[in-house]
Amino acid sequence: MDIVVNDTATEVSTDPDTTAVEVVREDLALTGTKLSCGTGVCGACTVLVDGSPTASCLLPATALEGRTVTTVEGLGGSHPAQRAFAAHDALQCGYCTPGFVVEAAAFVDRWRAEHGDVAPDRAAIADAMAGHLCRCGAYEGIYAAVAAACRGEHDTEPEHAPPRAEAMSKVTGEATYTTDVHPDGCQFGVIVRSTAAHARVRAVDGGGSPLVDLLPDDRTVRYVGQPVAAVVAPTRAKALAAAEAVTVDYETLPAVLDPESAREDGAPVVYPSKRERRSAPSSAEGATVPGSWSGNLRRSTLGSWRSATATRRLRAAAERDDPNLVTAEFSTGIQLHNAMEPHGCVARWDERGQLHLRTSTQTVGVLAREAAKRWGLSPQQVHVVAEHVGGGFGAKSGLTTETVAAVELARKTGTPVRVVLDRAEELTDTGNRPGTRTRLSLLATPSGDLAALGMDVHAEGGVSISSVAALLARLFYGTAPRRLRDIDVTTNHPPGVPFRGPGAAPMLWALEQGVDEIAHRRGEDPIELRRRWDGNPKRHALYDWAAALPVWLERPTAGSATGRFRRGVGVAAANWHYMANPGTEVEVTLDRGTVVARTGTQDIGTGARSVVTNVLAEELGLPVERVRVEVGHSATVHGPPSFGSQTTTSIGPAASDAARGLRAALRERVPETPPEGPVPPEALERAEGMRVVGKRHRDRRGYLTPFTVGDGFALGRGLSGAVHVTEVEVDTRLGRVRPTRVWAGVAAGRVYAPRLARNQCEGGVVQGVGYALYEERRADPATGTVLTDNMEDYRIPGIGDTPETVVHFHEGGWDHVRGGGVGLGEVSTIGVAASIGNAVFNATGWRPRDLPIRPDRVLKGLGS
Amino acid sequence: MTTPTTVHAATEALASHAGRARAGGTDVVALAHARRVEGPFVDLHRLTELRGISRRPDGSTLVGATTTIAEVAADATLRAHYPALVATAGALATPQIRAVATVGGNLLQRNRCSYYRNPAFSCLQSGGDTCPAREGEHQHAAVIDQGPCVAPHPSSMAVALLAHEASAHLADGGSVPVAELYDGTDPTRDHQLSPGRLVTGIELPPPVPGEAAAHHRATARSRAEWPLVEAVARLSISDGVISGAVVAVGAVARSPVRLTEVEDALVNSPVSDGPPPAALAGITGLCSPLPGNGYKVELLRATVTEVLERALRQD
Repeated sequence: MDIVVNDTATEVSTDPDTTAVEVVREDLALTGTKLSCGTGVCGACTVLVDGSPTASCLLPATALEGRTVTTVEGLGGSHPAQRAFAAHDALQCGYCTPGFVVEAAAFVDRWRAEHGDVAPDRAAIADAMAGHLCRCGAYEGIYAAVAAACRGEHDTEPEHAPPRAEAMSKVTGEATYTTDVHPDGCQFGVIVRSTAAHARVRAVDGGGSPLVDLLPDDRTVRYVGQPVAAVVAPTRAKALAAAEAVTVDYETLPAVLDPESAREDGAPVVYPSKRERRSAPSSAEGATVPGSWSGNLRRSTLGSWRSATATRRLRAAAERDDPNLVTAEFSTGIQLHNAMEPHGCVARWDERGQLHLRTSTQTVGVLAREAAKRWGLSPQQVHVVAEHVGGGFGAKSGLTTETVAAVELARKTGTPVRVVLDRAEELTDTGNRPGTRTRLSLLATPSGDLAALGMDVHAEGGVSISSVAALLARLFYGTAPRRLRDIDVTTNHPPGVPFRGPGAAPMLWALEQGVDEIAHRRGEDPIELRRRWDGNPKRHALYDWAAALPVWLERPTAGSATGRFRRGVGVAAANWHYMANPGTEVEVTLDRGTVVARTGTQDIGTGARSVVTNVLAEELGLPVERVRVEVGHSATVHGPPSFGSQTTTSIGPAASDAARGLRAALRERVPETPPEGPVPPEALERAEGMRVVGKRHRDRRGYLTPFTVGDGFALGRGLSGAVHVTEVEVDTRLGRVRPTRVWAGVAAGRVYAPRLARNQCEGGVVQGVGYALYEERRADPATGTVLTDNMEDYRIPGIGDTPETVVHFHEGGWDHVRGGGVGLGEVSTIGVAASIGNAVFNATGWRPRDLPIRPDRVLKGLGS
Repeated sequence: MTTPTTVHAATEALASHAGRARAGGTDVVALAHARRVEGPFVDLHRLTELRGISRRPDGSTLVGATTTIAEVAADATLRAHYPALVATAGALATPQIRAVATVGGNLLQRNRCSYYRNPAFSCLQSGGDTCPAREGEHQHAAVIDQGPCVAPHPSSMAVALLAHEASAHLADGGSVPVAELYDGTDPTRDHQLSPGRLVTGIELPPPVPGEAAAHHRATARSRAEWPLVEAVARLSISDGVISGAVVAVGAVARSPVRLTEVEDALVNSPVSDGPPPAALAGITGLCSPLPGNGYKVELLRATVTEVLERALRQD
């Protein structure tokens, strides 16, 4: 059939089952258009059909006949919407960006034709962009970009480079992700997954297809969706058919499918033996915390401090009905990472027996080391590339299933093999933030100091263990006695993995509402109370800032509002560890007048390229065009994984050191190079090929951990902090909570890339809104099958759910840290839900205890 | 697959191939991916004669079956005469879906129950003999119990068209009131049109002068979400008194439902007092919630209150 694609007449052959997105991405190789949800929800696949934005994943290819199609590539890179997205940093990982940009281009053109060069209001932009989802939450930038493009501010070539180094490649669709890679001769792998919640697998019959085994040593599956095997075929359709033909012989074992029955005597046990328990995966970052097992429960009291005193005080306060004692139970739902780019790997073994992995990963270095260990290679024989990564949030760390399957299949077939998860797999078995049920006891002295804290957190992480929610309460409010207990309640459900601030988000949902409740009972300002309990000067600076905000000064008295729509304001504070990766290096080489920097990290949307670019350009006095940063390759000097908020504080100082080293080396080779100030471009050209490696030197007074732990990180001195002040409007009739405005104060020291850091903090607010109000993994109670395995039923925030957000950075207090700044990715999101809970209480006098705060819960809470 | 260019050819193809009609494809393609339908398909996108909105001499309006939802949402004449229908169209799905999804397809789409959409399960809708949602996950299930299946009817347009007492024109010359397209007691399918029959258009009766109408879709998020409850109200008002009322609701039953008790109780109520609480009292009695969806009773009452208040405010 004939179609016109990006102004070129094209002929494609297609069958009735083919969708438009397949024609565009596979037949025409226009991979700027992305496939993410596959169900018409997320908009990543949006193309213009006869000028009208259309979801191409549900569009039969046959409907394109005789039509004109414009993809992101067809916009050419000079459309005002594209320039505006780059200039306003309306993106992070970039995977949803082509869809947004195509929609925005059509909207901006239409709007200007109808209204002239004036900005639409937020509601009009939200209406236009309602069919797009961005998991990074870059919606504030998108509002700004669309408005500016409508005002005609981006009609000409920009004078300045965009704040994000790779922005143009992301807004034009040029940026290549793992899902866009199809080497010649590549075959498709598909994973066969368990349909049983708990079973011993007696046999797997491939039905004639080559098959690799993905079962654990004990041949036992412990949840529906657990990988059993993988099959391969020349096309994805054939691979899916081959997977259908596989038969698995299960010896069904009794399963435990809800946390209540998991506690009962005689309940089926997920891990009956010591050996099996040792194989349980961890949902914590770093090492598994020690714990003691009893049936399906595993207890840890790590983090407790003067526990007996805390217990005695809490018990006595309960006996005397002390009004300064707050006890309450809080719960949180299971949150899914749901990065827009699914997990995927293209694996190839070369003729020398070396392994090449193109993987969507947050950890190129760790992955290379783990793959080397698993397949008996040296780390130098494993080449991991993750040029662009469409989001991770913790779920893409280390050696994950799709990579194991691709590597094994590639070895078996001798061809490259590509395994890309579909959205149902992504939302079932790539990890989650475990749900929790928390019993909180918080006691103040009559004079209003913290007397004791008790926290029992029962974590619902399926087959995973090592919840550290209660443990993290150790980081809060001084040294008052505290009894902190983490209890893993294992069930036959998919495992949790670290998720942006693991443990802290559910813990703060309880703790920060408890603190709010004490302040309320004592008739105190909740910020003043925190100021008294919290000795940290950096957070004191944030409290000063928050307390002076007009929205705070003019907040209503809790529960005083009447009428249908009730406005309230809430506050929550957060702390997070400062972690660094002390072995980090940045290598710089001079290539025809350009400084090329490399380090073994990756950019998952958090801005690693831009941090290094900014540091080098600033220290060498060069325009950013003279700096090129190459990340996402394991075959270079050591760089940090993108988790634990450690990336920027590791690569920034190493880049500084590299810049200093380069200047010193240049001064030897080209004596005209000045000791400071701009390095002349001629000097760079004369020293062609020069190579210098910068190191991330040790902090003053070193680290709390004497040696690096886990994947090579060290726990540094000091805690980053955040304070969120959130305004909500509660519709008491229809039960909807609408966050209207958020002020996000973050104390993480020096900010290396200000617009990008703000973007990440804005996205932290959006993810916190999702956690607070909408997101919830739900499973069938009878079989354990995840039902919210699509983006219609697993509900993440859209642009219309985004509050107007003001980000404030307090940059002082980190002089002991190399470079003066630490990470902010996690601290910027973990307290958001609690600030919403406190705002709902302020608005209505009803305190939500269970997440998400769904309409049914609001109606019930206000009715009772 | 065939791509007929005339209605005649389309009906022939549907009859001879036992093929499945596919218009915008936004539901059929998703169902094919979930292995709930398979081809051959009879593509309707070239039936340009079925696309468009026309006012007829008797004052009624005909909306062609392959008219897109976006076209309905943007039509000035419809907006003037059938504002609740236009509001319904503008609020459903997303702009990119509305651009291709058709009126006919919206009326005949399948339900959104997770158990039906997930190929791992068997249910009454997919040839099985039980409803796993009843004992299982049913937060979004029907709260007005009409039969063994509890998947709420998915069509928003059906709610608005039911409220407008519209009827569907069929290719064989017949005409079926929208109300009769659905039978909530039938747990095996989402509409009653027999295979091979083709909806060619929707006839909207002549507009009622001076009528006030409103639509609301209750959701958790601000946009782009299937409704928890949806309602359309049409009120005629004379001399400060409600003289006629139509209230239709969706997402609460296996079929879109007219709340006739509410309608009856509204007639002769004075406008100035707002919706009389007594008129809404009967809603509770209509509902028989499952353990996990009891909130829908109150939300239904609240959503109906919302549309009545809004319609009354326009007076």
